[in-house]
Amino acid sequence: MLGDEAKALEIFQAIMHEAALRAAAGEMPKDRLWLLRDARFRCLEASEAGLQAEEIEMEEHEIDPNGPAQIAKLEPIQLAIWISAAPEPQRTALALFYLDELDHGELLALTELKTVELGKLIGDGRQEFQAWLNSTFPHSET
Amino acid sequence: MKTPSLTNRQRMFMRCAPFNDERIDDRGMRSAVFRVRKCDEFAHQRSFDRAVAELVKTTPIPPEVTEWESKQTLIAPQKWTWKKTAQNPVIVAIGIAVGVIAGIFVFHLVEHMGDFPGEETARKLLSVARSTKPAQFEALKTDAGAVGDLFFMKHRLEHYDVPPEFADFRTIGSRVFDDDEGHRVAQVAVVEKHMQFLLFPAEKDAKSGVPRHFSGWRYVDFENWTGVVQEHNGVCFMAAMRGGEKDLAPYLKKKD
Repeated sequence: MLGDEAKALEIFQAIMHEAALRAAAGEMPKDRLWLLRDARFRCLEASEAGLQAEEIEMEEHEIDPNGPAQIAKLEPIQLAIWISAAPEPQRTALALFYLDELDHGELLALTELKTVELGKLIGDGRQEFQAWLNSTFPHSET
Repeated sequence: MKTPSLTNRQRMFMRCAPFNDERIDDRGMRSAVFRVRKCDEFAHQRSFDRAVAELVKTTPIPPEVTEWESKQTLIAPQKWTWKKTAQNPVIVAIGIAVGVIAGIFVFHLVEHMGDFPGEETARKLLSVARSTKPAQFEALKTDAGAVGDLFFMKHRLEHYDVPPEFADFRTIGSRVFDDDEGHRVAQVAVVEKHMQFLLFPAEKDAKSGVPRHFSGWRYVDFENWTGVVQEHNGVCFMAAMRGGEKDLAPYLKKKD
């Protein structure tokens, strides 16, 4: 979400601190996803305060059968930076989708999107990422 | 394999379908995925997504975070709410089955609520009354209330008395016969609406041999004939006539 490990850790600790306080006071929210929801809002808040990614029209490429090989060459931080540069709510959608911890209904609840919107954001993001992979690792290299 | 034609909704489901089938919790999405599961486009999409997820998993997690993670999970386990439980197809199926069983039970209960000891005998005697010809009776012109004495004196039938509700009716004829089980049955024909009275021993308890008592008047019907039965002193009295309950009911109210 942030593409910045230090900021992410800071937010994580703040959330856990909040959770510990709430638990001690017996005021844990009924929403079972509240921790992730809180994390998302804190990340959005933190990223709004920092440098903003320039809004540009992203190129989109069809998913390439060679895509997984291209991805295997990446460092996790590169993926994190790419996702954190995506505009909201696409950034949240991609981050939570690839986390592989939530089912479809939970994803919709957390992103506050409808299936059609989520499908478009994920689909477009996938093709934009493929375009970026193609430009980073041209076919001659793979 | 080429992607089959999909509706816009199915296409959207396909685009955001979790690459882990266990995470698909929507029936529409499951059916969309089933349709495209063998298509090249979808296969490429899944391989792509899984490769990204693999990369995500290799993200180094700072020790400060792993320490927390070992202490507690970040997502609370899903709770079963009453609403969710009620919507579960298994629960719905069990509910319907229980409902049907309860319905049948209530139906049987209502059906047998008016049952009384000796009902079967009464029904058999209704069919006897229905088929008895006037010539089968011995002529007897008196008040119905007096036939009890006649049955006692002539046939030694004790307590074969006509209840007050029907005691004033004029009789035409009477007879006494043994039924299939050897019980003595007295049959009286009266002027009033070609009604017949049948008196027979009350059903006895199989173990003790004591007559099984019941209170009040009970209706029984057989092929367009209706009888109303009362038990008194171990003898059942039945007034029988062609028609329904509504035809007999006024006679019972008369003496109340």
